[in-house]
Amino acid sequence: MTGFRLQQAALTVGGQTVLHDLDITIRPGERVALLGESGAGKTTLLRALREQQPNRIAWCPQQPGLVPVLPVFHNLYMGRLDQYATAYNLLNLIRPTPARRREVTELADRLGLGDQLWKPVEQLSGGQQSRVNLGRALYQQRPLFIGDEPVSAIDERQGADLLTLICEQHETVVLALHNIDQALAHCNRIIGIRAGRVAFDSPSDQLTSADIKPLYPSDAS
Amino acid sequence: MNRITKTLCVSIASLLTPAVLADTFVFTAIPDQDERQLTERFGKIADYLEQQLEVDVQYIPVKSYSAAVSAFRSDQVQMAWFGGLTGVQARQLVPGSQAIAQGVEDTAFISYFIAHESTGLAPADSLTDTLRGKSFTFGSKGSTSGRLMPEFYLREQFGEAPETLFNRVGFSGDHSRTIALVESGAYDVGAVNYAVWDAGVEAGDIDTDAVQVIWETPAYPDYQWTIRGDADARFGDGFTQRVQQALLDMTDPDLLAAFPRSGFIPATNADYAPIEATAVTIGIMDAQ
Amino acid sequence: MTTRLQLRDTGAMRRTTGLFILLALLCLPWADIAVHTLDPGRELGRLAQGLLWPQWPTTRTLAEAIASTLAFAFQGVALGAIAGFGLALLYRRRAVRWLAASLRAVHELFWALLFIQLFGLSTLAGVLAIAVPYAGIFAKVYGELFEETDPAPRQALPANASRLSSLMFTTLPQAWPNLAAYTRYRLECGIRSSAVLGFIGLPTLGYHLESLLRQGFYAEAAPFFYALLILIATQHRWCRGWMIPAMLLAALWWLPPVAPVNGALIWQFLTHDIVPAPLRSGMDALPWFMDLWQGQLWPGLINTLVLAMLSLVVMGLLGVMLFPTVSRLFGNRWTRGLSHGVLVILRSLPEYLLAFIALILLGPSMLPAIIALGLHNGAIIAHLIGQYSNTLVLRDDAARGLNRYFFEVLPRQFRLFLAFSLYRFETVIRETAILGMLGIPTLGFFIDSAFAEFRFDRAVMLLVASAVLNIAVDGCARIIRRRLHLQQQVQVC
Repeated sequence: MTGFRLQQAALTVGGQTVLHDLDITIRPGERVALLGESGAGKTTLLRALREQQPNRIAWCPQQPGLVPVLPVFHNLYMGRLDQYATAYNLLNLIRPTPARRREVTELADRLGLGDQLWKPVEQLSGGQQSRVNLGRALYQQRPLFIGDEPVSAIDERQGADLLTLICEQHETVVLALHNIDQALAHCNRIIGIRAGRVAFDSPSDQLTSADIKPLYPSDAS
Repeated sequence: MNRITKTLCVSIASLLTPAVLADTFVFTAIPDQDERQLTERFGKIADYLEQQLEVDVQYIPVKSYSAAVSAFRSDQVQMAWFGGLTGVQARQLVPGSQAIAQGVEDTAFISYFIAHESTGLAPADSLTDTLRGKSFTFGSKGSTSGRLMPEFYLREQFGEAPETLFNRVGFSGDHSRTIALVESGAYDVGAVNYAVWDAGVEAGDIDTDAVQVIWETPAYPDYQWTIRGDADARFGDGFTQRVQQALLDMTDPDLLAAFPRSGFIPATNADYAPIEATAVTIGIMDAQ
Repeated sequence: MTTRLQLRDTGAMRRTTGLFILLALLCLPWADIAVHTLDPGRELGRLAQGLLWPQWPTTRTLAEAIASTLAFAFQGVALGAIAGFGLALLYRRRAVRWLAASLRAVHELFWALLFIQLFGLSTLAGVLAIAVPYAGIFAKVYGELFEETDPAPRQALPANASRLSSLMFTTLPQAWPNLAAYTRYRLECGIRSSAVLGFIGLPTLGYHLESLLRQGFYAEAAPFFYALLILIATQHRWCRGWMIPAMLLAALWWLPPVAPVNGALIWQFLTHDIVPAPLRSGMDALPWFMDLWQGQLWPGLINTLVLAMLSLVVMGLLGVMLFPTVSRLFGNRWTRGLSHGVLVILRSLPEYLLAFIALILLGPSMLPAIIALGLHNGAIIAHLIGQYSNTLVLRDDAARGLNRYFFEVLPRQFRLFLAFSLYRFETVIRETAILGMLGIPTLGFFIDSAFAEFRFDRAVMLLVASAVLNIAVDGCARIIRRRLHLQQQVQVC
């Protein structure tokens, strides 16, 4: 199986059920966006999906989890720690090898971080750190990608570019997003979550913003 | 063992209680060998003195040579069985105190230099350059037979300090430990009190295949009983003399084995002038 | 501005680490490192056998040694805390800060050697030996705690409120929880110090331990060793609440802090014995001083610094290597439990004792001292960093094993590691001085010799030198910490 499947599932956090009666199947090739208010349970759902096949997934959590004193290079390289021998990793920690250096530089250029490659990430801005976080997931080069608000701290134009990059590089993509337009533009399936249940689950070309609006009842507008 | 440690502990704690000291005649001895046996060795001496002097007599053990002198200086003990050097130090720190008795053997005491068999050093009549570059251990820093006189003769023979003569110089703390360290090869050569060595060999405690005597020093005065100058004022006129007589009268071989000596003879401060001069010469005492 | 500071920080941290390692390597040619026992295996075997099959002393012997150990610790720490509190109230004055720094720069063993000259081998001498340096430490920590309190409540008081009532109503209540916690923690150090005082003749656990270990009676030493270990390891369980005043009263009853005070003796010590010999006899003091400088002060200083640098690097390496073994980010419950036990043992035992054991096993050189200082302090660093690493939250897909250690954890903990290590620097220097009593020719060795020769003038001169070195090292460490923006951290003894 290369996709995901949840059947009659209930997801709990700290003993409390956050999501009820989940029936979700994601097939290879799908690009799925999760929409819903913050706290609706998107992150919980992404975690549950990730646990189904952790070794095939490029994982981009909302909390960047970067190592502040290490430079951008190493934070990106860390995406592949499990793919190389430990000794080789240590060598790259002390003195990056030309092959990895080339790959990572190329990726950093695509992320717009080419100039910052050897700067400790604690010296980067929030948006730049967020790009490093995304870059680390991209560098994993896995068939599936799960991202929790991967571009929310990045300006809209660059965010769109990076979403395109994500979709290009991965067969299957599941993203939690808060920007509805981005969701509609980059994904072919939208799952709306509200009050602990799936409110709707349909192809994006069949949805209008009127369908989506009820997901955000506390929105003043 | 249990009984010994018990007495040991009772006595060490009692040192801290000044009340005990008021009407009790307290003495100590430098801990020059196996500390577990100190209380046993000197407890008997305390009983003997108590009988002879008709005052309460107590022996308390101390931890080091310098602790013995400190206790004497601060009047926590009124008398002590000192080595030559510690006696000189004590009498210098407590004006009026005097040496009253020494062992028969102490008029002509000697030290042995002992060596581990791996050094290949053989017994000789004089110190030779074969010692150079070896490791060497003294006993306690304040010991006459384990430090002062050996260092004096080393300097006299080689004209330099032990630190430059040997590649390493240590202080084992006591004679038993010096023998053990050289026996195990931790040090190549050591200097030791001849009486402790002879007693050890006789008792079969020393592996004479591993360690042997390679040289003996010329004779010098060593151990003596020293009493504080204010003893008469505290315990009655003529007390010092009675103590001296009691020591000279000690003939029981069992008691004398504690030191080990064959008997005691009178001693005076002047007997130890050579020791003081030697201490000043090798630089561990300031000229007065 | 902040980014530029941080940029300098990261590079500076790396350079500082490199500098310390380089300095230690430069020290190596001067360090006397060698194994001198022909057969350390045999001695080790006898030690292990002794530890496994201890020979018990009478209950009374053991109980009395424990009671005395606790009595000195409680009285010393209590007196130190009271005096330190008084000094802390005046901590803003430069003179008081210097006084406190000088008091804590001299190790308790050396204070004990001094007080024994003044008061004989008495309870008072032992209590003061702990209380005096601890007063210096308490003054600093209490003083800093007072300074850290929120000034707002104080400023809101009526203008003519007295300083004391202001203290009682605003500063003290705010600082109290930290104050109490630190004092309790210091009691643990006090027990260790008290045990160590036994090495020079006070009737604590150390008295028996030193005699028996030195003479190689390992089985007979083992019970005292275990008693000390259990006392320190369980201290936080029984030493709290009403137990503390109760224990203090019991301590005063068991060993009343009195001494046979001999006015003449004290007067002679202060006005004659500690005055340099040439001044007493009206001779030229310069040759005397030059002799002392060339023969003892200079070699003592060099050896102290060499030993401290090497120990510091060994401590750092051990700390970095051992902390993952107690961190929840690595291993399982069993490995952590085991490692935790080992670290407790290493940090409970006084360095002096560890060095003593290492000396017996490895023979006389600087090596046992380096091992002892490295192990003891490394265990403390590992424990602290292990604790802090438990607060790290890693990503769900964070690497495991060595990858996790080198990429995720070590880089994040490095700043903390450096801060702790620099704090330990002063302690390491202090302890190197007392390891001299084991025969390593540091300043402490020469101080011990001076006391053994009853040349108090030299002893005091050497003590002053070692105090100055201590204060200088502490100052250096503080400057480096400030440069690297390593924030203040908990104190450890």
